[in-house]
Amino acid sequence: MKPKVGDELPELIKHPTTRQLVQYAGAQGDFYEIHYDQDFARGVGLPGVILHGLLKAAFLGQLVTDWLGEEGTLKTFEVSYRGTDVPGRPYRSRGRVTKVEGPHVELEVWGEDPDGNRTTVGSAAVEMGG
Amino acid sequence: MATTSVVDRLRSRIGSTAPSISATVEAGHLKRFAEAIGDPNPRWLQEAPPTFLVALVPASVHLDEAEEYGRGWLNGGNRFEYIEPVRVGDRITATGRVADVYEKSGSSGSLLFIIFETEYTNQHGRAVARLRGTAIRR
Repeated sequence: MKPKVGDELPELIKHPTTRQLVQYAGAQGDFYEIHYDQDFARGVGLPGVILHGLLKAAFLGQLVTDWLGEEGTLKTFEVSYRGTDVPGRPYRSRGRVTKVEGPHVELEVWGEDPDGNRTTVGSAAVEMGG
Repeated sequence: MATTSVVDRLRSRIGSTAPSISATVEAGHLKRFAEAIGDPNPRWLQEAPPTFLVALVPASVHLDEAEEYGRGWLNGGNRFEYIEPVRVGDRITATGRVADVYEKSGSSGSLLFIIFETEYTNQHGRAVARLRGTAIRR
C-alpha cells in the first residue's frame, strides 16, 4: 500500500444498540449511568442514553487499523467529541490521508451521525513499513 | 459564585500525581473488549486494540470534588500516543496526573475542563503508551 494525500479510507458503519452500550460499559468498566439508564440520562439534560465517547473512538480506531493492517504502525490517535450520539442510529466512521512524508502518514478521521453531523473528529499518525 | 471555590480547589490539584495502578492484560478481557466494540480482527486476541488501555485501568484521575460543579460529566476528547505494542500477559502500570483545570463559559453556560495525562509502562519498565484526556463537567 502506498498512501497518497486525499486517499479515502474504506468507511466503517456501525449499528450501536443499548445492548452494545451495556456490553461496552462492562468491558471498559465505565458504569456512568448516562450510557444505560434513560431516566438518569434525561435528568442531566441528555436526549436519552448516549454512546460512550471512547466507544466512538474505538470505531475510529478500527477504521484506521482495518485500513492499515500489518503494513504500518499506529503512532498517535486523537479524537474530540463534538456531539452526542444515541443507540439505534447508524454511526459512520470515515477518514482520509492528509500528509505523506516518506514512511510518515497522517490521517484525518471523523464519525458522522445519519444527518451528516461530524460528532467526533480526530486524526491519526502512522509509520508505514511496520 | 458558589462554584468558584470548587474550581480553585481543583486548580490546586494541577500537577498532582495519582498512585500508580498495575494490571495484567488478560486474554479474556481483550476478547470481551473486542466483542464490545464490535471489531472482529483476530489480531485483538493477542494484542491490545488502539483504545484498550482505558479499559485496563481507570482512564483518568478521579476527582470526586469536581462533581460539585454542574450536573454531569462529558468526555471532551482523548489523545493516545503508542510507543510499543501491548500484548496478552503484559503487566502494565499506569500513572496519571492532573495536567490542567480551567473554566470556560459557552453559549449553554459555564463548563469545567479537567485535563489528565496517563503514562503506561510495561513489566520491563519501558513506556508503552501515553494518554491525554479532557473530562468536562457541565
